[in-house]
Amino acid sequence: MQIPLSFWDISLWLAVTAITLLITAELISPYYGQTNLLINKKKLKNAALTTGILFLITVAIRIYGIITAP
Amino acid sequence: MPKPTEDNIAPKTPKQKLRITELTAYALLLLGASALITSIIYTSSILAFIGLGLTFWGVLLLYITPTRYVKLDLLNAIAPSTLANIEKMLTNSKLNEKGIYLPPKYLRDFESSLVFIPSKNNKTLPRPEEIDEEKIYSKNPEGMFLTPPGLALSKLFEKELGTSFTKTDLNYIRNNLPKLLIEDMEIAENVEVEIKDNLITVEIANHIFSEICQETRKLQKTHETIGCTLSSAIACALAKATGKPITIQKEEKSQDGKTTKIQYRILED
Repeated sequence: MQIPLSFWDISLWLAVTAITLLITAELISPYYGQTNLLINKKKLKNAALTTGILFLITVAIRIYGIITAP
Repeated sequence: MPKPTEDNIAPKTPKQKLRITELTAYALLLLGASALITSIIYTSSILAFIGLGLTFWGVLLLYITPTRYVKLDLLNAIAPSTLANIEKMLTNSKLNEKGIYLPPKYLRDFESSLVFIPSKNNKTLPRPEEIDEEKIYSKNPEGMFLTPPGLALSKLFEKELGTSFTKTDLNYIRNNLPKLLIEDMEIAENVEVEIKDNLITVEIANHIFSEICQETRKLQKTHETIGCTLSSAIACALAKATGKPITIQKEEKSQDGKTTKIQYRILED
């Protein structure tokens, strides 16, 4: 039994999530009038940036793999 | 049993709203974890993606929801009484001149702020050695020392910016104040800072202190002398950043009531 996701699957998932979160964090307005779901915008931005950085790390690993491959 | 109507359905309290969000987050986490476990058992990558997504959004929902927040009405209910006390003191002391926000070099505690209200319009400031944060009245020149109503707010600005205004200058305020009030603290919808010689004009659109400032306008002396909480906080910041005494020259609301225009004057000491 093992997780049926490869490293590249996770990288792709991170990329999609990072884009979604970054766009949301940039477009979200404190004046949108919807108060049923309270969002701390700063924390959302932090989460978006973290996901983006994680994706970039996977890209760096990929590049390193290509460069060092015999 | 009476049918619920719009009138008899109690609106959800902030606490209930947070509880619902929390429950949703835990439900997402549970579903996500189950999907992940199932994906491992059946070796299904689609289920694994679904599980990963649900778990992530569950955790994210828990992380991005604020733990506590207060309604604006509560804030509006607290501030006016403090300002009413200042109004009483000003009326009893018969002080009519504009308050002068003192720069740090006049104070013992550089991180603090003090507003000096002179009894005569001669703009003479007391000497630094004569200023005591604990004192209320000054004899030479005659006047009164008050803790600005916006002092705590200006300290919150510093905390948010991660620096003290004493280490900054006017350019820093011009470049960072709009971002601080709009994006970081979500106090206003739009902020514009204009500097012309000794005059600094700050235009703030749709800010959350509009009701408090409206209340301050009713307290004529407080409004004329030291301004409302927001204008006072900016005055504290300006006094620290410029290192010079500051007065609130004018504070007016636009005709549509959405924009507040505050004019500050930098005094020569």
